[in-house]
Amino acid sequence: MATLAPILDRFTTADRTQPVPAPARALEMEDQFAVPQFPNEDVYFRVKHIDNSRVVRTADPAARKACWRMIGYSFVFATLVITLLLPTLYDLMAGYRMEALRQERSRLQLDRAALELEEAKLISPARLAELAKMQQFVDPAPENVVYLDTKSDAILAKSDADPAKSSAALAAK
Amino acid sequence: MDTLATKRVHLLARVAFVWALLIVARLVQLQVVQHGKYKTLAQQQQQRRVEVRAPRGMILDRHGERLAMSLPVESVCVNPLRVPDIAVASDILSKILNLDHGDLLYRMKTALEDRRGFLWIKRRVAPQEAARLRGLKLEWIEYRTENQRFYPNRTLAAHLLGGVDFEENGNAGVEQALNDRLQGHDGEMLLTEDVQRRGFQSTTQSEAQPGEDIHLTIDSSIQFVAEKELAKMVDQHHAHSGSVVAMDARSGDILAYANYPTYDPNESLKDKEAAAREDLAVAAPFEPGSVFKVITLSAALECTRLRPDSIINCGGGKIVLPGRTVHDHNRYWELSMEDVLARSSNIGAINIGLTVGPRLLEYVRQFGFGKKTGLPLPGESSGMVRRLPSGKGAIGSLASVSMGHEVGVTAVQLAQACSVIASGGNLIRPRLTLDTPVAKPIRVLKPETAITMRRMMEGVVIKPYGTAHRYARILGYTSAGKTGTAQIYDNHLHQYTHLYNASFMGFAPVTNPAVVVVVTINGTAGLSGYGGPVSAPVFREVAAAALRIQDVPKDLPEMLPATEDDQADVSDVAIVDVGSSIPPPLVQPGDAVTAGDEPAAAAKVALDQRIFSAGPAIPVHVSYATPVSDAPRVPNFQGKTVRDVIQESAALGIPVEFIGSGIARAQIPEPGEVLPVGRSVRIQFGR
Repeated sequence: MATLAPILDRFTTADRTQPVPAPARALEMEDQFAVPQFPNEDVYFRVKHIDNSRVVRTADPAARKACWRMIGYSFVFATLVITLLLPTLYDLMAGYRMEALRQERSRLQLDRAALELEEAKLISPARLAELAKMQQFVDPAPENVVYLDTKSDAILAKSDADPAKSSAALAAK
Repeated sequence: MDTLATKRVHLLARVAFVWALLIVARLVQLQVVQHGKYKTLAQQQQQRRVEVRAPRGMILDRHGERLAMSLPVESVCVNPLRVPDIAVASDILSKILNLDHGDLLYRMKTALEDRRGFLWIKRRVAPQEAARLRGLKLEWIEYRTENQRFYPNRTLAAHLLGGVDFEENGNAGVEQALNDRLQGHDGEMLLTEDVQRRGFQSTTQSEAQPGEDIHLTIDSSIQFVAEKELAKMVDQHHAHSGSVVAMDARSGDILAYANYPTYDPNESLKDKEAAAREDLAVAAPFEPGSVFKVITLSAALECTRLRPDSIINCGGGKIVLPGRTVHDHNRYWELSMEDVLARSSNIGAINIGLTVGPRLLEYVRQFGFGKKTGLPLPGESSGMVRRLPSGKGAIGSLASVSMGHEVGVTAVQLAQACSVIASGGNLIRPRLTLDTPVAKPIRVLKPETAITMRRMMEGVVIKPYGTAHRYARILGYTSAGKTGTAQIYDNHLHQYTHLYNASFMGFAPVTNPAVVVVVTINGTAGLSGYGGPVSAPVFREVAAAALRIQDVPKDLPEMLPATEDDQADVSDVAIVDVGSSIPPPLVQPGDAVTAGDEPAAAAKVALDQRIFSAGPAIPVHVSYATPVSDAPRVPNFQGKTVRDVIQESAALGIPVEFIGSGIARAQIPEPGEVLPVGRSVRIQFGR
């Protein structure tokens, strides 16, 4: 199976017929640590046992400082981005809300108009006359119509001529 | 020297760079070079133009009650080119929208064959139908929001309101005349939507301008009473049609405007309903008949020496004019001028009109006849007032005009003319919308003439022999008016028929008129089809309702109309042409003939010697009242009720002026004094 390396080698290697260098040849010898080779690859793997038991990690203040600085920069950058994007996001959310409210307003206006129409139908003179007829109401005779003086500061209880008396009576009650 | 691996990395980097360069180049092409194109494409995908419907203005009555209003409703349409299966689509749509399947399939097929991209399926569907269709979630069904006009009171003021067509343009009545004000201008909004078609941003492209609300001057309660009474009377007398116009005597506000037969503007026009949609009150001029005598007598009071008590020769119910003979409905010999009006004597009116001469037509025009009233109603007729012909024809024409023939008037013109008397001599222009400024009154008559006419017109109602007695008296209020019964001319047979145009115009209360009512009922027949029994009761009911609703204080104590002494002479019809097929009416056995109606020899001679000549100045001989040595002495009215005073004064023929209400407390002249000719007794009433 061809991998990317041989393809690239076609562009980077001048002549593929050149002999393999000597060290490579030496590697071809039997080696008890060698693992099977990939075909057409110049990569050789060997098993090597490493003992890290005595390796000790020493403190590196500069690296730690750089790390914290990077975290700080990242936080500031993120905050800035969020701060810059937040109004746009808010606008978007508000836009959705406004459009929803606009539709709601249209719907309510429609409902209101429908109710106004219904009200107008219900209080139409023809319907009221029909209801009055069903209830056996009759138009008042002219002599039974009493006009109240609705001008100036007239009061409904016109029979009581003296306001002082009426207020006194009210106080007594 | 680079190792093999380094070379590989360098190569990869170069490839990546070139790749990035290509991407950047493509981005530049897309976002810079072709920015406009892709922006348009994006907008087409994300943005939608939404039409913001501007509702048509409402029409309300003077108290704000809604008479006409618009509601948005949905209409269903499709693009036939996008419909997957025409047969299935028509099946679905016809079932839900209650349409004829075959018809819809044919329409859709035709549209598809014509490559039309739009087809209305059903306009203004019911909300339930729209909901059912939306529930199917078929993307090829489109919905358009349209406004629909509703008239919640159905037939109420139908002719006044008119109607609208499918595009909500007015096609009759106020809807048509004030269409520009009522009609709004639709707006447009640009709505940006997300992938789920949810809008999140909208920009108003053009603002919607709703139509203006129109406040009419009519009162829906008075309108209802007018329509009810008119319909009742037209049906009761098997008449063809009728109109009622009630008008505020001071401002000219039209309070009620009714025609019968009527229609429901919510429903589309049916063939048989075309006649019912005619606006008779303004568009159908008619010969007014005897109501026009009010104009004749007003002109006589203004420009002749005739006064209410002047004796008019009535020629025994017959007058010979050049080329024809005119008969009266009763054989009157002599009547006072006010009795000419009360009894509606045609011969008397002709003689008075001839006395006035050609100036009568000037007064006719000054009363507003022959020109439009200016109400915002389409198709208003200006009526017809002809020029006086030269020669002998002038006399005949003048005689006809005097009794309300050879002129064409509309009911609204009559109401306007009646307002001249009711308003003290000023012509009040009628108005139909509250925002119309009240027109400046035009002086037509002197105030004293108008007051005299009021009293004479009151005589038509209160005198026992008045043509409207028993029919036009309103309990609690004084009222005045004039009946009219004009024969209807048959244009095909070229002669007058036995059908009448019964009319009444009047006002109430007499002392300070608040409402003017004109009633015309077309196509009545027989004695019961005269203006008194037919139209005057409608006046009574409409005027009583208007006075009650407008809180007009009563000016009479409550009393019942007298019937036991009723001698009402309702026959006020004018038989105009002896050459016609109509025989002259016979004197009825029950006709009341008062002492004053006895034929006078002098009057006979005057009539026989009448000479008619051509020319502007028409010499006529009219007998005037001669001073009577035994003039009536004023009785003692003190302590009597208004009713008793009316009865007693009417019996004695003494004119009375009433001041206040209750019991008669004082009177001028004093009891026992001789009442000078032309004077009246002023009686002060009090509680």
